[in-house]
Parts: sequence; C-alpha cells; structure tokens
Amino acid sequence: MMVQEVKPKRSAALSALSLIVIIAFLATLPLWTDDYWVRIWTGVAMWAGLAASWNIIGGYAGYISFGQVAFFGIGAYATAILMQPGLDWNFFLTLPVGAVVAGVFALIVGWPTLRLRGAYFAIATWALAEALTQIVNTVDFTGGSFGLSTPGNAETGFFYYAMLIASAAIYLIVFLLLERSRFGYKVKAVRDNEAAAQSLGINTTSVKLQAFVLSAALPAVLGGIDAYWITFINPQSVLAGDITDQMVVMSLVGGLGHLWGPAIGATVLYLSSTWLNAHFGSSTGYIAMIGALLALIVLFLPDGLVGFLPRARNMRLVRQMLRLPERPAGAAGPSADTSGDRP
Amino acid sequence: MNALAVSDLKRSFGGIRAVAGVSFNVAVKEIVGIIGPNGSGKSTLFNLLSGTIPPSSGAISLLGRDVTHQPAYRIARQGLGRTFQIPTPFINMTVRENLLAAAVEGEWRSARSRAEEVLDALEIGHIADDLAATLSGGQQRLLEFGRIQMRDPQIILLDEVTAGVNPRLRQIILARVRDLRQKGKTFLVIEHDMELVRTICERIIVMDAGEIVFEGTFEEVARNERVVDAYLGRPET
Amino acid sequence: MVRVAMQLLVQTVIDGLLVGGLYVAISIGFSLAFGVLDVVDFAVGEWVMLGAFAGVASQAWLGIDPIAFLPAVFVIFALIGLLVAPLIYRVRTSRYARPALMALAFTFGIAMFARGVMLTSVGFDPRTVETHLVGGTMMIGGIHIPWLRLAGFIFAIVSTALFMGFLFFTRTGLAVRATAQNKRNASLMGIDVKRLSGLVYAIYAGLTAMAGVLIGAIYSFTAQVGPQYSLLAFFVVVMAGLGSVGGVLVAGLFLGMLQALVTVYVGADYTLAIVFGVLFLILLVSPQGVLRRGLAA
Repeated sequence: MMVQEVKPKRSAALSALSLIVIIAFLATLPLWTDDYWVRIWTGVAMWAGLAASWNIIGGYAGYISFGQVAFFGIGAYATAILMQPGLDWNFFLTLPVGAVVAGVFALIVGWPTLRLRGAYFAIATWALAEALTQIVNTVDFTGGSFGLSTPGNAETGFFYYAMLIASAAIYLIVFLLLERSRFGYKVKAVRDNEAAAQSLGINTTSVKLQAFVLSAALPAVLGGIDAYWITFINPQSVLAGDITDQMVVMSLVGGLGHLWGPAIGATVLYLSSTWLNAHFGSSTGYIAMIGALLALIVLFLPDGLVGFLPRARNMRLVRQMLRLPERPAGAAGPSADTSGDRP
Repeated sequence: MNALAVSDLKRSFGGIRAVAGVSFNVAVKEIVGIIGPNGSGKSTLFNLLSGTIPPSSGAISLLGRDVTHQPAYRIARQGLGRTFQIPTPFINMTVRENLLAAAVEGEWRSARSRAEEVLDALEIGHIADDLAATLSGGQQRLLEFGRIQMRDPQIILLDEVTAGVNPRLRQIILARVRDLRQKGKTFLVIEHDMELVRTICERIIVMDAGEIVFEGTFEEVARNERVVDAYLGRPET
Repeated sequence: MVRVAMQLLVQTVIDGLLVGGLYVAISIGFSLAFGVLDVVDFAVGEWVMLGAFAGVASQAWLGIDPIAFLPAVFVIFALIGLLVAPLIYRVRTSRYARPALMALAFTFGIAMFARGVMLTSVGFDPRTVETHLVGGTMMIGGIHIPWLRLAGFIFAIVSTALFMGFLFFTRTGLAVRATAQNKRNASLMGIDVKRLSGLVYAIYAGLTAMAGVLIGAIYSFTAQVGPQYSLLAFFVVVMAGLGSVGGVLVAGLFLGMLQALVTVYVGADYTLAIVFGVLFLILLVSPQGVLRRGLAA
C-alpha cells in the first residue's frame, strides 16, 4: 500500500543504534580530544539546544519568532548579575531564575500577540529583542554597553557537560511534550489549521502561549550557562539579532517541526562557521552567508536536510517540494487553499 | 429545551449584511436542513453558531445555555461539532493523528481506542497512517466527520458534507448520520443536494440574502413558488 | 521661561513631523506591498539602508549630487525589486503549512544577506549623505527649519500623493487596490496577480530607497541601521492597521513626533524601548490598528 515500505522493527533498531553511537561519542568527547575541540562541541551543543527551543514555537506551533535571542540574553544576564561580587549566587541556582524571568516576558509579550496573525507576533517578538537590547545598553545594573563579567573559575570540561546535559534535557522535553503527549497533538493541530482546532475544543491561544513560554524558558538556561562559560557578556554577545537569525536558519536547514532537525542544522552550520572563521576570519561574511542560506532553503529545501532521511519522508511537511511519486492509495493532492492562510 | 435557539441573529461585514436578523429553533433529535442560493448567509450562520465569528447582535443558546459571544473552543466543548465547507484536515498529521488531536479533554487514555472505533465505523482503517495531505477530497471530508465523532457532540453542524464525494463514501457518511440520529443527536445540515435533503431532513429552512424566507417540510418547500423560482428550479419531466 | 519651553516643544513637534513624513514614505509602500503580496517584508529597513548608501555612492563615485540622483535611485531599486518579487511570490504561493510565514522568513533572509554584504564591503563606520543642492536653515518665529528636512518632508508628501494618485486614478492602480482587497477574486477577473505583485514591490523598493537617500542626508547611518527602520515601518503599519494605506499618514507623522519628543524630553537611548512599548500597547488594545482599518486576525 505505501510506496516506501520500511520495516518498523528494523528502522527502530537502526535509530536506536545511531542514537547510542552519538551519545557515546558526545559523552566521552573530553576524554579523547583537546580543549579546542571540546569548546567547539560545547558550542554545537548550545546551538543545538537553542535551535530546538526555537523550533517549538517556530516549527511545531508555526509562529515564527524573530526575537528568541531576548530570552537567551535574559538568562545570560540573570546568571551574570546574580553571580556578581556582593550577590555571589551559586551558579546552578541562577539558571531557574533566568528561565522564570524569560517565561514571564514570554507570557507578557505573547498574550496579546498570539491571538493575532503570525506577522504581528513576528514583529512584536523582534521588537522585544531590539528594545531589550537598548534597555540593557542603557541601564546600570546590567553593566550597560560595557557588559558584565562572571567568575572564570571552572574548567572547559565542566561547561561542555553542562551545555550537553542542558541541551539533551531540552531534546528530551521536546520529545516528551511535543512528540509523545496530548499537548503535542494540540500544538500541531493549531499550526496546521487553527479554525479546525478551535472547532474541536482546543483553546488555541492558550496552546500557543504555553508553547511560547516553553520556548522562552529553555534558551534562558543555555544563556545562563553561556554567561558563566565565556566569563564576559555584553549586549552584542548575548542579545544580537544574529543569534535569533542563526536559530531560525539552523532549524530551517535541519528540518522545521522535526525533533532532530535543529540538531542536524546546528551541527552542520556551527561546524561550517567555525571552519570558515578559521580560514577567512570574517564574521560579517557569515551573516551574509546565513541570510542567503535562509532565503535559499525557504525557496528550494523547505523540509531541510531532514527531508533526505528516508524514514523522515513519512513525516515531511511538503511532499511536493521534493517531487516524490504520488502515493497510490486514493491519493489526489492536498487541498491547499493558500489564499486562506494569512501571515 | 431546544437543542439550538437562535434569536434575531445579525452579522455584518463592513456594509454587507451577511446575516440580517435570523431566528429559529432546532429541537433535540431533529435533523434540519438549510438550503438557499450561494451568498445567502448559510456558511456565515454556521460560523456564528460555532463561535468562529462573533455576531453583530442577537443571541444564540445551546441546550438552554446562552453561548452568544463565546469563543469557538468553548462552544465546541459544550457539545457542538461542525464540519467546514472546504475540508480542513491537519495536513501534516496522519489520519489517526488527526483523530487523536480531536480527543475530548480529560479522556486521553481512551482516545486511542476511540480512534480505532471511529476508523472502523468510517471504514478508513486502511489509510490510518497516511498523511492527511495525501487524501482525496472525499476522504478528507470523511476524516472531518470522523474528528467530530471523536468528541461525540450533541449537536452537529454539517456544511455540504457530501459535496464532491463519491457515492460509496457518501453512503458511509449517511449511514453514520442515521446511526447518530438514532442515538439522539441533533443535526443542522447545509446542503445543495436536494435528494439528500429530501431523504434525511425533517424540516427545511430556506435562506436568501441573509434572511429566512421559508420554513417547512420538503414537500411544502418544493411547492412554494418563490423558493422554486429563486433556487430550486423546476423538475425535469 | 514658559516661552522658551513652548518654543522647545513646538520645535520638537515640527522636527518630528518633518521626519515623520519620511516614515510615511517608507511605510506607504511597505503597507501596500503587504496588501498585495500578503507578506511582511522584513527587508524594508535594508531598502532604506541601501538607498542611503546609494546616495553616498552617487556623490563619491559619480560626482552627482544625491538629490539630483534620486530618480536614478528609484529606477535602480525598482529594478532590483522587480527581480526579488517573483521569488517572494513563489514562496508565498507554495504548499507550505504556513506559506505566509515562510515568505516572511525569506524576506528576513535577504535582509540579513544585504546587511552582511554591506557590512563586509563598507564596514561599520557611520556615514552621511552629502548634498549641496539643499542646505541651510529657515527661521520662522524662532523655530529652526533646516531646508534639508523640509525637502525630505516635501518629498515624502509629494511621493505619497503621487502614489495615492496612481492607486486611485489609474487603471493599474485600481487593479492593485482590487488585488489588495481580494486576491482570489482579482485573479478571477483576469488580473495577473503575479505581475502586479512585481510592479507593486518594485515601486515600493524604489520609493523606500529614495526615502533612504534623504534619511541618510538627515541622520548619519551605518550598514547596520536597517533593523531600526524596519521597526519604525512596522510600528507605523501596525498602528495604522496592517493593510490599511490611509492610516499610514497619520501613524507616520505620529511616530515622528513621538520619537522627537522622547529624544528631547526623555533621552535618545530610550526611543526604541518606548516605541516598542507603545507598539505593544496598540497590539494589546486595538490590534486592527488605532484607526481600526486593518486586518487583525
């Protein structure tokens, strides 16, 4: 009946095996490489987590946010501020604080804007990030444009594992909440057809809001770890628009609305940028590159790299884009009424 | 207590009066058909009843409770189900996932088995794992119907549910409608298919230009000169 | 003392109105492009930035005064817009789950690309557009009115008027308005929506770039200035209501005044935050725009 018959048992075993290999690889990394590579993979872990959290609101819920960096920055500043001499909080305790603050901001910004069309939400989140950057630049207790330092007294390996565990936790949360729970079905229903979801008893605004708050709290934790790791933060390093841009591009390149898409995208892009940086040393060129990449992916590869995984074909967003043969059983194209979808 | 009671319902879009003062009741277990030319306000009426759009004025009550101005999801939770004129499947989810997404709040654990029941009743078990986007138009309508069935609503609004559906699927839908009617459900049906209207509707409301112009049985409607001229057309002999 | 304070207020308001005119020029095209293409163009600020740099280039490379070069700027950027529009249209009409948001992401991508390319080629230094055709300051009752700003304002009003004239008094303009209201019906009536989208986007790009030249003459700018102007355009259009062209005039002037007042009475550093705050309040209270003419949900 189906064009691609993938025996369920074999594919499950295969993915379990690859997962084990990857976990083994990541878990033992510091034991067999030098600090340079450990730092790079810490970056990969961080970006994988950041992209995954963006994917919650952008991919699963279908509301594109252009201001996620605001939450990353909030987490970074929360940790940095609380670890200042005089307050001296324990690092681990600062993380939940950042997450909660970020969640509150998401609630405040999301509540009026998620009721509306996606375009308003995109604008509002983007404006939030820009406004936050300006405020942080001006206000004293954030160190203004000069930034803040955090005590630099931990090892490379510590940060690696911290980032890795935090990211892994994020993926686990996404898996449990969005792939395996009732909530996930609701979120995806809202994305696919909001009117229908409403007519089936789903409180779409509430669902969107929950997804958004979740997508805000998670990067805040990563931000906190980042602040401690790089020992010095300022608006440019943790609130720059490029950070959101990268989250967006990584998710899109990897695969929107797919569990592993962000991880794939983050790994590919981060390693590429590191390589490019080492050989050409231009960071503005990187901006141009990810901009072009975003545009090209949207045009030609909307499913991202995940579209190339054979098993993922059954779960793809748009079959037509890859021009696969039609399924034989009663298939006759989707009723894509695009005029009904407004931004 | 009426299943549905509508009182002087009005809805305008800018200068256009889509629904211009509609009042009617639907008794429990009735199947009422709504017919009328395109643009007569039928679908807008459905949107008003289901809470998809708010009325400009007037009142709606569902099973005795006032639901005017309530959001669509609340009305759905109070026992109203509806299909849409253009099928609205969740295109990136499979048929089974579509059904699961429709499960009633608080009944998640029984949702899976209920979905199996619905799949069987509608004879779509063989496409349960297909993406909704790949279904034919008729299958998508069947899926919409199935989604409603997951929730077991008391009152069901069907908007041209058999339009463009092949005869076999049409039979399935009609059989299910009859079953549900037996179990005490109330139906409000927008249709252009007069055969269908004649066979299953007990009472018919005729709309034109946002107003109700006639109410009665099919025979009465078919005899009414005005309705025939404006909309039905004379039977070919 | 009161007299001085009054004078300051009037001066501030006038300054704000003058620059508000330019905001109107940017936003009119942007709002219409949204109406016809159904896409929020996140690259609107980059058009401004690129226009400003074109103004610099016209003087530095061609020796032509930027003001005299304005028509050429329009043509150049309209052509570029004509190239970009079909791509946006293609994404917008593709079979995504949410094609409109994908198109928005697309414009975000090209905005980033433009910004990255400019940053790499010209760096981070601030510049201004130098013009000798217009200069000096007019004085009316103690209020300073720089000719340049006045010229900018006049330009904005004239181009807006021309644009409105095009929309309301020409056949093509009628087609554009019809399409903006209902794309499906418009195409059913034989209007080539795709070509029309290209035309509208081209005009919008050209217009916005021209406004960029003038903005660059009034304010110094860098290659990173794009997002700022995007935010301003968004604000104007949200306040007027997405899709409403009429309210843009009022909203643009209002924004100019708001910005000027905040800069003088609160501090330039807080303008962005306050603009965002007001934007947010508008979305909270009246999402169809303060003038309730747009489409909210």
